[in-house]
Amino acid sequence: MKHACKEISRLASDSLDRKLGLWEKLKFRMHLFICVNCRNCDNNLKLIRNALDLIEKTKYGQARLSDVQRDQLHQTLKKNTGC
Amino acid sequence: MTQAMLHSFQIHTHARYFRLATHQTFWQSRIVNSDPHLWLKDHGDYLYRYALSRLHNEDLASDMLQETLLAGWRGFENFAGQSSIRTWLVGILKHKIIDHIRLDIRNRKLAESVENDPTSAYFNENGSWSEAPSAWQDNPEELCQSEQFHAVLESCIGKLPEKQQIVFRMRDITGDDSDTICKSCDMTSTHLHVLLHRARLALRMCLQWNWFGEGSRS
Repeated sequence: MKHACKEISRLASDSLDRKLGLWEKLKFRMHLFICVNCRNCDNNLKLIRNALDLIEKTKYGQARLSDVQRDQLHQTLKKNTGC
Repeated sequence: MTQAMLHSFQIHTHARYFRLATHQTFWQSRIVNSDPHLWLKDHGDYLYRYALSRLHNEDLASDMLQETLLAGWRGFENFAGQSSIRTWLVGILKHKIIDHIRLDIRNRKLAESVENDPTSAYFNENGSWSEAPSAWQDNPEELCQSEQFHAVLESCIGKLPEKQQIVFRMRDITGDDSDTICKSCDMTSTHLHVLLHRARLALRMCLQWNWFGEGSRS
């Protein structure tokens, strides 16, 4: 039942993007239970994902159109729609 | 209210700025403002943030917003009224961004073969780790406040092959779903998962060396 860590690392990555199948999930959980390296890798990947998520929120959460951009947009709309 | 009354109501009261989607009866419909200037006022910042977080370029994000408002104005008859106008505009913007990224990838002829798996470098022949991953002690809240960490992270992402960078940024930074990314990049979901796996392991390794590893910050 020992599955290669390489294969498990793929499942750790995939689990961030899709729902694992029943068999995949079982294989994944059982391997993590016995393998501290893969457990660490799984936690590392989750930490990266969470940190990026937080960074992104602070980076673009406050972004706004500048007054110049807004004026330009109004002018273009006026020219193209006539209203 | 008869259709004739409805018609005159439309003509006299909201001739230009208020239009009803044509296939709806009066009772189903909500009157929605079709003035693009008002859309810009009410939803401009929201749409701009949506575009900016995906394109990372202020001028480009503003251009996409402009195209979206114009497309919305021209195609207002297609607005079904079942969603809010903001949701509808986001839908238009999303497609414009997908088209832009797809063209960009084609023009730059970015390709990465599925063969020659670079993740093999992290494993022995029997598939176990050649260098054991360690437990990282930091928590995300503290990490995201560290300017130094931002710099290390950005430089690690910058070292990834270009196509991996694009899909990784879309998935883990912008948070787009797999479907959207596959459409933007003309790839199957399996290919996408292969690239994300490569990107994440490379990034993990880079951060292990440059941030989390013993002595990396001394």
